[in-house]
Amino acid sequence: MVRELREAAIAGVYQTKQGDLSDRTQAEVWFECAKGACDDAGIDLGDIDGLIMDGPEGVGIRSILPAAALGHDLLGKPMRFHASSSVGASAAAAGVNLAVYAVSVGLAEAVVIVNAVAGRPEGFSSANRDEAIAAMAKLSGPYEYIYGTTRVSDYAVLARRHMYEYGTTSEQLAEVAVAQRYGATLHPLSCNGHRGEITVDDVVGSRMIADPLHLLDCCGINQGGGAIVVTSAATVRGNKIHKPIGLLGYGEGHSHIDPNAAPSLAFFDAAQLAADTAFAHAGVSRDEIDVAGLGDHFTINVLFGIEAAGFCKPGESGPFVENGALKVGGRLPTNTAGGFLSFSHAGACGIFTLIEVVEQLRGSAGVRQVANAKLGYLSGSGGAMQNNYSAVLGEV
Amino acid sequence: MSSDEKFLPEGVPGWHQPFWDSLRERNIKVQRCTSCKAFRHVPKEICAKCRSTSFSWEPVSGRGVVYTYTIVHRAPTPAYQAAAPYAIVHAAMEEGFRMVAAMTGVDPDAVEIGAPVRVVYTDLSPDWTIVEFEPATDTEELVDNARDN
Repeated sequence: MVRELREAAIAGVYQTKQGDLSDRTQAEVWFECAKGACDDAGIDLGDIDGLIMDGPEGVGIRSILPAAALGHDLLGKPMRFHASSSVGASAAAAGVNLAVYAVSVGLAEAVVIVNAVAGRPEGFSSANRDEAIAAMAKLSGPYEYIYGTTRVSDYAVLARRHMYEYGTTSEQLAEVAVAQRYGATLHPLSCNGHRGEITVDDVVGSRMIADPLHLLDCCGINQGGGAIVVTSAATVRGNKIHKPIGLLGYGEGHSHIDPNAAPSLAFFDAAQLAADTAFAHAGVSRDEIDVAGLGDHFTINVLFGIEAAGFCKPGESGPFVENGALKVGGRLPTNTAGGFLSFSHAGACGIFTLIEVVEQLRGSAGVRQVANAKLGYLSGSGGAMQNNYSAVLGEV
Repeated sequence: MSSDEKFLPEGVPGWHQPFWDSLRERNIKVQRCTSCKAFRHVPKEICAKCRSTSFSWEPVSGRGVVYTYTIVHRAPTPAYQAAAPYAIVHAAMEEGFRMVAAMTGVDPDAVEIGAPVRVVYTDLSPDWTIVEFEPATDTEELVDNARDN
């Protein structure tokens, strides 16, 4: 049986400019990202022997056997490991747990996770906004979508209940978007940084999409790519390029499909379960966390993430995020590159959240750097708080 | 289906049919665990409370209160956009289950958590009847109670 043999670490990261990559193919962007992460790690693309999530796109069986496609066809050798996570848009970030597993038990030496969205795909990655919105609306299933629900309305009902139970305000939700846009203005690869800073008034004054969520409470639909490579921590140390940033703790919480089955639509015990598991594994307390990356399809997600993690009590996240608490220098710097809202909402965009926390823990975040960042916390959701992962990262 | 039509239910398992039949008959029935008597909606293979697989389809009052809601301004397709803004309600029903439906017969801005609602039936097509919610005013409840007595 497999058993723990060695420590693994994130060896390399890479991101493209986020925005419109419709004139490139997914495969081209995939290889740019994989190669970029290998370069950052100081290894060759040919050293890759494990894959998490998707490979370069293909048709027929290539589309469902991604690591086989990456084998003799593309890298000229067999791959040793493949697995996928199911945590929705956070799957690529949650997949770091699988990469760490593969390396730590000796099933692979260098595992790559790539998220690449480009070209002109159909469905919810479509470059056609109307088509993407219609496709995402049907994720909720026939007992809901017949009424004209949307992905935004699926979250708006959660935000409304949180407001009702705890007195959370639209202005408090707006604080999330404001802090993250500020971060994006400091990151040259961000999708929305070029639009400039926004204010609370801008957010609450923006067009209503699904009450209480305004346009600027929501992610846009964009494209982009990012990748990470995981190797043994010894390899990272030997290459002497970056600090070995590893997974100190990890947890998941798979909650519900039918919102009628969730015990509450204002607080999510499965998200709390993921966080509790990750913190227990890591053996660190909440107040030791220096920087956070919380999945943020909508501003309300960050409030749910803060409460589930236990950074404050349930219901207290509204006041928690006020006065720039989430900006660099604030109480809990969060999504410091802009998050899904302002950095990128492309595909399994949790990988961008993860990469920013790695940059912070390496001390290489430049003008966005959180002083003396040692411990990072990550979380994210699939669906409308339907499943969740949490992770604690630090130097190993 | 063309984009000027609303979505019909797709992929509904055949064993859910008694629920949909009850809507067409305008006498809503919801799945109920035979063992612990808990109602559940939408239909599920086993009871999440007691794990029993035995169930029946039982008439319910169709009355509840708004648990949460949203008002959709940006709709998924042109067919829905034509009706926007419209309210989607998650209601806590009298029998102890929650149910999602669109709100009808009221200005969406008047919807609020805790307000009483009751189901009404809307024919989507010859094959599909759905429930929507409408306000259940205290006055009407008194009338109904009087009639029931």
